Amino acid sequence: MHASYMETLREAMSMVSGYIYPNELELQWSVLIVLYPYITGLVAGAFILASLERVFNVTAVKPTYRLSLLMALAFLLIAPLPLQVHLGQPQRAFEIFMTPNTSSAMAMFGFVYVWYLMAVLLVEIWLDYRREIVAWSKSEPFWPKRLFYKLLTFGVDNVSPRSLAIDDKVGRALTVIGLPSAVLLHGYVGFIFGSIKANPWWSTPLMPVIFLFSAMASGIAGVLLVYMFLCWARDEHIEMPCIDTVAKFFLTALIVAFTLEMLETLQTAYEAEEHFDIISLLVEGKLYFSMIFVQMFMGSLIPMFLLGLCQLFELPEKVRKVFYSASAILSLIGILAMRWNVVVGGQFFSKSLRGFTTYKMELAGREGLVSALVLGFMPLVVLALLLYLLPPWGESAHRRKEPA
Amino acid sequence: MKDIRHLLHVAAAFVVVIIGFLIARHLVVPKSFGRIGHYRADAVDEIKALPLRYAGEQACAPCHRAQAKAKASSRHKGIRCESCHGALQAHAEAPSSLKPAKPKEGEMRAFCARCHEKNLSRPAKFPQVDPREHNPGVACSQCHPPHQPK
Amino acid sequence: MNRRHFLRTAALAVAAFAGRAVAAPLAAAEKFFKEPPWRRKKPYWGYAVDVAKCIGCGRCVDACKTENDVPREPFYFRTWVERYVLRRTGEVSVDSPNGGLDGYPAPREPESIAQSFFVPKLCGHCENSPCEQVCPVGASFKTVDGVVLVDRKYCIGCRYCIQACPYGCRYFHPELQVADKCTLCYHRITKGLQPACVENCPTGARMFGDLSDPESALTKFRETERIQTLKPHMGTEPKLVYKGLHKEVR
Repeated sequence: MHASYMETLREAMSMVSGYIYPNELELQWSVLIVLYPYITGLVAGAFILASLERVFNVTAVKPTYRLSLLMALAFLLIAPLPLQVHLGQPQRAFEIFMTPNTSSAMAMFGFVYVWYLMAVLLVEIWLDYRREIVAWSKSEPFWPKRLFYKLLTFGVDNVSPRSLAIDDKVGRALTVIGLPSAVLLHGYVGFIFGSIKANPWWSTPLMPVIFLFSAMASGIAGVLLVYMFLCWARDEHIEMPCIDTVAKFFLTALIVAFTLEMLETLQTAYEAEEHFDIISLLVEGKLYFSMIFVQMFMGSLIPMFLLGLCQLFELPEKVRKVFYSASAILSLIGILAMRWNVVVGGQFFSKSLRGFTTYKMELAGREGLVSALVLGFMPLVVLALLLYLLPPWGESAHRRKEPA
Repeated sequence: MKDIRHLLHVAAAFVVVIIGFLIARHLVVPKSFGRIGHYRADAVDEIKALPLRYAGEQACAPCHRAQAKAKASSRHKGIRCESCHGALQAHAEAPSSLKPAKPKEGEMRAFCARCHEKNLSRPAKFPQVDPREHNPGVACSQCHPPHQPK
Repeated sequence: MNRRHFLRTAALAVAAFAGRAVAAPLAAAEKFFKEPPWRRKKPYWGYAVDVAKCIGCGRCVDACKTENDVPREPFYFRTWVERYVLRRTGEVSVDSPNGGLDGYPAPREPESIAQSFFVPKLCGHCENSPCEQVCPVGASFKTVDGVVLVDRKYCIGCRYCIQACPYGCRYFHPELQVADKCTLCYHRITKGLQPACVENCPTGARMFGDLSDPESALTKFRETERIQTLKPHMGTEPKLVYKGLHKEVR
């Protein structure tokens, strides 16, 4: 392993162009660190969509409310895994919680993550499901599952109207806290990159905001897609008012994210500082396909065009469904590309601003493509498990399709 | 009260988790952490205790007096012994255990050329020769004794 | 409380805040500009490079790898030497084959060269070191005598510090799987020895010393020469200073 890795690096050496500092040959943050902001982005986006219903009373999106929460939870549970796998000393990861360095953006991860997972998301889901949990803890025939629900009741099976009313109030209050928490969670991921002054591709105060809006777009796209897929798989009727509203928010997030990215690009080009030459080489060269084509054209412009058409014209239901799902898939790919362009793109050029290194993704290996794919799909497996344990389809949420 | 009991139970669970975390933290964080700053103070001593490889100029002169004296008045006076003879802490600790390296006659031209070969990138006033033209085949030390070069 | 009383209290409070708002930054600025850290702590280590003296022999790079068990592969360096070649056409090329460890061949096409020189690089042991700032766990730190070190037993290997260093001075140790960097040969300097690179520099291009000692050669050098740091706009305040740095050096 060691010898073959050295061989990989030696090979990379022959592909360096211009001058890089000798230590810069090895690209430090691999594809796994691309996944991390992508997954947390989906968490933040899904949660923000859920809070629309709760905080701002956008009742049309109610059918996606629980699904959004479960999706946020599934992705949040997996989010730290790529980081953990990437560490050189994974067994020491707990130090981030034990002795966090208060000046480190990364150390804040512990606080933000635990706060968001424990205090906000878990409690909120629990409050929302408590009535069902109590019922299932009595009715579930499969005993391990029944035990699981029993534990989740925390020893109280009181579901009196007053207690549920209290739950609702607390839940609403939590969502109000949860909204800035979700924003914080993803804003902080942007800050990890945006605060690195050594890297001009990363260092911009807009980075957290850009990350946040692209996160919203990806999270909303994710929920939209999963909702439509589940309706299809369960042979249920898709609530058109619901996905029409979700699509509106999706479009809004896309427009804001794209505008911010453009503003940032424009600003960099206009100021044309010392690093401008190398950055234009980067965008016109190594990132041309993944940034100009995938991220901007395929991932932003086409979805904005399709979603815009749905807003401007009264298109038939079928066309809207196709447009919505196409836009969601395209922008999910585009936003993954955006994470790649930020994380890997930012490491392609030397901090001497005089040359480029390369990145050859391994296939197997700890940080290889296989491992990235497994980690990338793992949230969906967790989501399936959560859907099995905490089915979100309540009595009122869906109408069964009338038999034809 | 009855209707918020479930919430109190959850709050109690949180308190238990937090207390557990604090206990774990107390047990797991190294004792010397934070004694000086936000780091493990013992790490400083561990780094101080790393082994030496180069003994340093002052270790050589007590035994190799003649060479040290000659060098001290020459144009090579600024060059420390180990620059040419290699890392010799082991030799300084037990002189017979490791013999200092000395460029062989056949290798000498390449050895000296490392510094003195004509190269436009070097400072112009630094003494440089083109080894292909400058008495090819002759060991440098025949005319320029390394401890007292002319 | 009557209105007058209230207004008077409020006015006093505002005055107190305003007074502090003016006085506090002034006091801080005074401390900042008048008192570098090496006035407060003895010893406080610093480093200087005289670019005009470097002959590009690579002895320092070799000595560093030997003294500190730095992996021998050509992509791990605690110190390295760069060569700049400025052509009359305006073209600037930089190279550092194997970090300069094996020395440099003469540059090609000498007639088109306007100037060429070597620049030794190493960790600046920045006063405001970004690597120490971003380390999530406190495994990168600055000692009381001003040296930035890595705790190999505590580093989690996240490599955030490598990203944060503007000078490319850190690498990921392939065997230890932790971040690694120049220690200024902390195990030598705390015993009164010179860092291995300084010890082995034949021309005195590299200088090491105590900034807190007004009589040290390093202090004198800093006082008498027009010195400069790399990427000063980063605000990192490296304690590694250069004399005779060309504008093309980054």
